[in-house]
Amino acid sequence: MRDNTLKYLLVLPAVLVVFATAVWPLIESLRLSFTVGRLNRPGSLDQYLGWENFTWAFSQEPAFWNSVWVTTVYTFLTVALTTVLALGLAMLLAPGGRFRSGVQTLLILPFAMSPALIGVSFRFMFNPEFGLFDAFFGVIIPPLADVSWLADPVLAFAVCVMADVWGWIPFLTLVLIGGLASVPQDTIEAAQVDGASGWRVFRDITLPQLAPVLAVVIILKSIFSLKTFDQIFMLTNGGPGTATQTLSHYIYFNGMKYGQIGYAASVAWLMVIPMIFLTYAYAKFVFRKN
Amino acid sequence: MAEVTLKNLTKRWGDFIGVDNQSLEIHDKEFLVLLGPSGCGKTTTMRMIAGLEDPTDGEIRIGDRVVNDDLPRDRDVAMVFQNYGLYPHMTIFDNIAYPLRVRGTPKNEIEPRVRKAAEQVELTEFLHRKPKALSGGQRQRVALARAIVRTPKVFLMDEPLSNLDAKLRVTMRAELKHLSRALKITTIYVTHDQIEAMTLADRVAVMKNGIIQQLGTPDEIYNDPANLFVAGFIGSPAMNLINGSVQDGHFVTTGGTKLVRVAAPDSPSVVLGVRADDMRVAEEGEGDLDVRIYAFENTGEATLLTVQWGKQRVIAKGDRHLRKDQDDIVSVSLDSDHLYLFDPETGDRIKR
Ligand SMILES: Nc1ncnc2c1ncn2[C@@H]1O[C@H](COP(=O)(O)OP(=O)(O)O)[C@@H](O)[C@H]1O
Ligand SMILES: [Mg+2]
Repeated sequence: MRDNTLKYLLVLPAVLVVFATAVWPLIESLRLSFTVGRLNRPGSLDQYLGWENFTWAFSQEPAFWNSVWVTTVYTFLTVALTTVLALGLAMLLAPGGRFRSGVQTLLILPFAMSPALIGVSFRFMFNPEFGLFDAFFGVIIPPLADVSWLADPVLAFAVCVMADVWGWIPFLTLVLIGGLASVPQDTIEAAQVDGASGWRVFRDITLPQLAPVLAVVIILKSIFSLKTFDQIFMLTNGGPGTATQTLSHYIYFNGMKYGQIGYAASVAWLMVIPMIFLTYAYAKFVFRKN
Repeated sequence: MAEVTLKNLTKRWGDFIGVDNQSLEIHDKEFLVLLGPSGCGKTTTMRMIAGLEDPTDGEIRIGDRVVNDDLPRDRDVAMVFQNYGLYPHMTIFDNIAYPLRVRGTPKNEIEPRVRKAAEQVELTEFLHRKPKALSGGQRQRVALARAIVRTPKVFLMDEPLSNLDAKLRVTMRAELKHLSRALKITTIYVTHDQIEAMTLADRVAVMKNGIIQQLGTPDEIYNDPANLFVAGFIGSPAMNLINGSVQDGHFVTTGGTKLVRVAAPDSPSVVLGVRADDMRVAEEGEGDLDVRIYAFENTGEATLLTVQWGKQRVIAKGDRHLRKDQDDIVSVSLDSDHLYLFDPETGDRIKR
């Protein structure tokens, strides 16, 4: 009995810290999402508004729908590109792959960089006057020589996707190398002897056995893509216009720039819906029985 | 027609030699066993034949064709892996059907052929299951069925029975033998188990350190071993190897006991090989040499007597009704028709 009391006492500080830094803000933000919640209007933080913030987002805000669309396309593209490229790289770098060497360690470098730093460095690279990529693309694709990348809505979006894919490939590659290493080599060799071509071995043997790892990778990356903020903030700040404004950026803008903290909180809670789906799927894959 | 011919086959990894310049002809429809201790290069040899490993040197022929540059799938062989290499995400049916599917067998032929292969290994009830839901022996049968569902030029089997428990191994051994007689396809079979080799093989190639020590029928390997290694490796219990010399046409132990007539020139140092079966055990004083029993074992079908012979211990097989005890004295006699002499330096057999 005494032992148990001590046990709980020792855990208590940690529980309190988690409550103060995670649970309470969460509850508070949920409460705020039902209030007028203007930072510049005293008392509005307690002014109950019902569901109006939510209906406002759906019915009166093209910018909200724009950010939903941007986030969706951004998530889809970054997840697809990162996964496919990382899988290709993992196949080449995995044990028994073609290019196994010290390259692996180099690969981790982009992942060690903070997203904000990636944003800043890509911004420099695409600078029209002294950007390395800007000059590089200008040379290999001459029609692109005079464009100002970050000023064009489509190209700016492309640069955002590129920066994200570049930053995430290493991590996904490492995870997939681990996944590939767990595919038994003798199943692959058996298929080769059975008469399968390289492509059939990949499709029939490797991919199905890699599927659980691949699913986890895709779900995780989707969660991270949905949340993207710091990189976009440093790279384009949502612009030009709202061409690269993701939901997180939209929330930030409304809450911090316009002071509409109640409205921002309600949009943030809307984002929770896809997150719950993805987290549920993730948990199902990671903790599934054997 | 599918004989397999290895010519000066070599596999090196850096300085390490896995298979050392070996040549071997495997006849059409022959069951050849590669036998040797773990690490002697059996699997490597087989993998080179399958195309899963590139030879450093030498030539591999299957039928009339040099296959060195062919991919595994173009060699028309079927392989049973030591750990079976079943596809865990496919049902047993799909596992067995896979070689047919990837080779473009017409759809309507697949089902009957899979069923026939499954019948041959008595697996028909499990076709809808996944490999995980099968026992070791059943998985082994799936691997076998997957190999026999086609009619390849050559079967390659890498220790297919080694993951089974002792009893199942004996049953499966007989089934394998039955199956191989029925199928009549050239088979190369790798094992470290000399009983498997003796019972299954038309011919055995005994390997050590990447080199084939002797190639012959099980009878030849057993009755006429080419060197000390083969003599010691084949047979259970292992052949007794006794150090001594040849003086005046007699074998003399290092202890100085003049033992038995041998037809060999005098030599200061030889090894005498004699199988436990070829020693007669008699009551004290009634044989060639009286010895003290170090251990007495009764296996049910026979008795094994480990006896102290000077500084060495020697195993003799006695009648199954013999009853003796530790430290009893018995007399053993050697059958001079079944003695083998070896050169201790080179290990080579000294022929009379
Ligand atoms: N890929 C490899 N690289 C280096 N050495 C290897 C490799 N594969 C096998 N060997 C070595 O070659 C020798 C023969 O191996 P193997 O053919 O698997 O023996 P076994 O007769 O037991 O089947 C072993 O000593 C093994 O360690
Ligand atoms: Mg082996």
